[in-house]
Amino acid sequence: MSEANLTVFLVDDDEDIRSSLSRALTKRGFHIENFASAEEFLDTYNGEKSGCLLLDYGMPRMNGLELQQHMISKGYSLPIIFITGHGGIPESVQAMKAGAIDFLEKPFRQKTLVDCINAAFETALATQEHEKKTKDLRIKFERLTDREKEIAQLMVSNSSSTSSKDIGRILNISPRTVDHHRARILDKMNINSVTELVDLSIRANLFSK
Amino acid sequence: MKLSLGAILAICLAGLQLIAVLSVVLSSYVTSERVLLDHARSLLSDLGLNAIEHSKGFLQPARGTAELAKRLAENEIVASDNPEILEKLLFQNLQISPQFSGLYYGDQTGSFVYVMRSSSIGPYRTKIITNSKGDRVTKFIWRNEDYSVVGTRFDATDTFDPRERPWYKNVLRTRDIIWTDPYIFFSSKKPGITAASPVIKSNGQLDGVIGVDIEIDAISDFLSNLKIGNNGAVIILNRNGDVIAHPNPDLIKIEDADGTLKFANINEILDPIAQAAFGTLPKTDDVTVQTEISSKFKHGGKTYVSTLMPMGQSELPWTIAVYVPEDDFTGGIKDNRTRNIWIAFAIAVITGLLGLKLADRIIKPVRDFAVRAELASKGEVDVSKDLPKTYPELEDANDTLVHEIVQRKISEREYGQTFDLASRGMAEISPNTGRFIRVNSQLADILGYSADEILGMRFSDILHPDDSDTYAFFQDAVHEDYEYNQEKRYLHKDGSTIWLRVNAILIRDEHGKPLHAVATVDDVTAQKVSEVKINGLSRDLSHFARVNMMGEMAAGLAHELNQPLTAITQNADAALSTLQEQTTSDPELTQILTELDQQAHRGADIIRALRGFVRKDEGSKAAFDFSELVEQALHLVQSEASVHGISIVFNAENIPNVFGNRIQIAQVLVNLIRNSIEAIASGNTALKQIDVIAKEIDNFVEVWVEDTGAGVNPDINLFTQFETSKSDGMGLGLSFSRSIVEANGGQLWYDVNSAEKSRFCFTLASAVVNEEVLSNV
Repeated sequence: MSEANLTVFLVDDDEDIRSSLSRALTKRGFHIENFASAEEFLDTYNGEKSGCLLLDYGMPRMNGLELQQHMISKGYSLPIIFITGHGGIPESVQAMKAGAIDFLEKPFRQKTLVDCINAAFETALATQEHEKKTKDLRIKFERLTDREKEIAQLMVSNSSSTSSKDIGRILNISPRTVDHHRARILDKMNINSVTELVDLSIRANLFSK
Repeated sequence: MKLSLGAILAICLAGLQLIAVLSVVLSSYVTSERVLLDHARSLLSDLGLNAIEHSKGFLQPARGTAELAKRLAENEIVASDNPEILEKLLFQNLQISPQFSGLYYGDQTGSFVYVMRSSSIGPYRTKIITNSKGDRVTKFIWRNEDYSVVGTRFDATDTFDPRERPWYKNVLRTRDIIWTDPYIFFSSKKPGITAASPVIKSNGQLDGVIGVDIEIDAISDFLSNLKIGNNGAVIILNRNGDVIAHPNPDLIKIEDADGTLKFANINEILDPIAQAAFGTLPKTDDVTVQTEISSKFKHGGKTYVSTLMPMGQSELPWTIAVYVPEDDFTGGIKDNRTRNIWIAFAIAVITGLLGLKLADRIIKPVRDFAVRAELASKGEVDVSKDLPKTYPELEDANDTLVHEIVQRKISEREYGQTFDLASRGMAEISPNTGRFIRVNSQLADILGYSADEILGMRFSDILHPDDSDTYAFFQDAVHEDYEYNQEKRYLHKDGSTIWLRVNAILIRDEHGKPLHAVATVDDVTAQKVSEVKINGLSRDLSHFARVNMMGEMAAGLAHELNQPLTAITQNADAALSTLQEQTTSDPELTQILTELDQQAHRGADIIRALRGFVRKDEGSKAAFDFSELVEQALHLVQSEASVHGISIVFNAENIPNVFGNRIQIAQVLVNLIRNSIEAIASGNTALKQIDVIAKEIDNFVEVWVEDTGAGVNPDINLFTQFETSKSDGMGLGLSFSRSIVEANGGQLWYDVNSAEKSRFCFTLASAVVNEEVLSNV
């Protein structure tokens, strides 16, 4: 959960901007990677590194909005902060609707930028945390037997009738057997109640497929 | 008097035909009659000859008396010497000649043997007178055919002396055969003649005379048997006019005053026709004719033909007369001829009627033509229609005569139709009073009045107050024979202003006197309004272009300046961070760097304010007709295109209304088209054409502006500000256009794939779908 492993990816076609901005942010303790165009960034970035994307709006060929759409389509969750030399209201609305952290007009106050970066980092970390939890839960879930997975799914999908009797009737097994399985599920998943299981399942999107 | 063609044809075909038929018939009538008469006469002549031949043949045996006399002389038979031989000889001769009634011989002694046919006691009777030396005995012997004696008687009282008889005396005198005139035989009461021949001895002395009595009643019998027509007859006249043979033998004998029988003279005979026939003969003792005479006579209402001809023998001075009613020969033919005349007349009438019919048929096309020409002249038939079936001569006449009518009618009709059916308003206007003489419904529609209302008005009544001098100008132009052609304002009936283009000329009559002015009137109000709109658009565009050029320059400057300002602020921040890392930080340096950052931000604020100021005049977005906008925009660039010989073609099919800022879009269009014009003008291409194409794609209208110019240098970034391929350009046009299009929800790009033409494309949101969405932006 340290900021040390978070990176600020800077994409701007202006050399002066890239050098000055990266220098200033490095001084403030951020880890910066520079890219001269959207295409260059896309060639390098594979979705593994977290952090945020500091993106110039007005660039030749692929502009910032287009790169944003490209990131969304690839499933990259990297938060984006737009920086633009001539802030247009329609472009900013479009960018914000697509999930951008902010749309900053050049030149911007350094504090504003840092706040935005920190907010983006929090989002990135939350996303990272969520993804980790989901990953753990999935690993635990995979440890369950097929019968236990079946029962767990029934309990999550039919949360109004989670009694052992109901489940036993549906699966045509004794309520005692259901009770036994249930205890094993809670133990393996390292959780205390069925309510928690339902909550985790929804957050981790366990049964969506 | 002129005869109509129909009458001439009727006369020719019917009348002349009748005349021809009748003349042929009458000619044959006359010639046939003559032929018939000739034939009749020839027939009569033949009959006469026949009668002559028969008569001759009848009398021929009498000539045998000469032979008999010769034989008597050779045998020296005399009556006194040997009456028995003589009697037998005569008997034999009598027996073989039935027409002989008797044979006799008398000699110079007065002896006499006479054998004759008898009707009592025996068929033959012989009278023998012997007179030798004064001793006279008269003896009668009756015999049968076989010469046997039936009876005998003597007559002492008989005083007959042959030497006293005329026949003896005549022969003694002439010493040749003689024929007596016919006479009625005393004994048989039959007509007859006597032939006597001398018997001369070898010494030349007359010994006696032999005679033959020939009954000629058989000739009458023959004549009565001759068939001469139905009522014709042949009679034979002696030279003294006695009728010696007649078909009715009873008529030829009449009783004389002394009770003796004699021949009836032609003047006495009880045959009126015969009397009439020969009444024309000369009243002389000798009626004999020398040659054949044909004549005609009338009797009892009938016409007869007759022929007189001589016997042709001197010893028989007879005349054969033949007569016959003409009708007997020609009657049947006359009937036939009458019938023929009627038939001919009927044929003439029928053919005459056919001729009239034919004449009617021949005349019909002419009549049709005349009727048609009459109607054509009245305008009740279209002369340009096909001519009815007629003759080439008439077609030629039609071509020449009707041509005038056609031309006149066509021009009249064309004028009338042009006037009434013209798409524009038309009027005839009095040149002096300005009163409307004639108007069409289109003019009435344009002015809002009914046609009748306008006819009560003057030209000056519809003038617009601001163009009140129009009428004076109109009058001047018309009277000077100039063509008046002006676009001026006029007043509609409802008081609204309308723009009319009035074109007028003065029409004069053949003497040069003004008749009326003919004016054509076009309502150009819409056109004028459109011009006003275009002018307005042009004004708006020039203002917009000015304002937006400043705005775009401001925006471009903002971007260009904001980049270094950003770098400044970042470097200031980096410097401050570096300063804080150092233990001996200089507070003044920190102050300087902080102010540097603040000044940079202040510069950015000024730029932002400037941009905000020029961007206020953005106008509002609305739905509008893009095609109309293109048409108007083309007016603005047309003159520029024409200068360079460039044609601009706009092509749009069923595109919907678009949503956006109309003036901004117009500026984009004008920019792109001007770029194309300049691209073509600076190049050297054969084809100089700009195509503006608009089509609906999904919820957008995509617009292409294509030109045949040289194209775009690929090294130039077209849409970057201050980059340009034009020597005198600033490089703002395309980036400005793109920002306008994007501000209106569309995109603008250069189609690098268009091979032959340079093609700039932009999209505009369709009004129907995007109005709500875009208004929220």
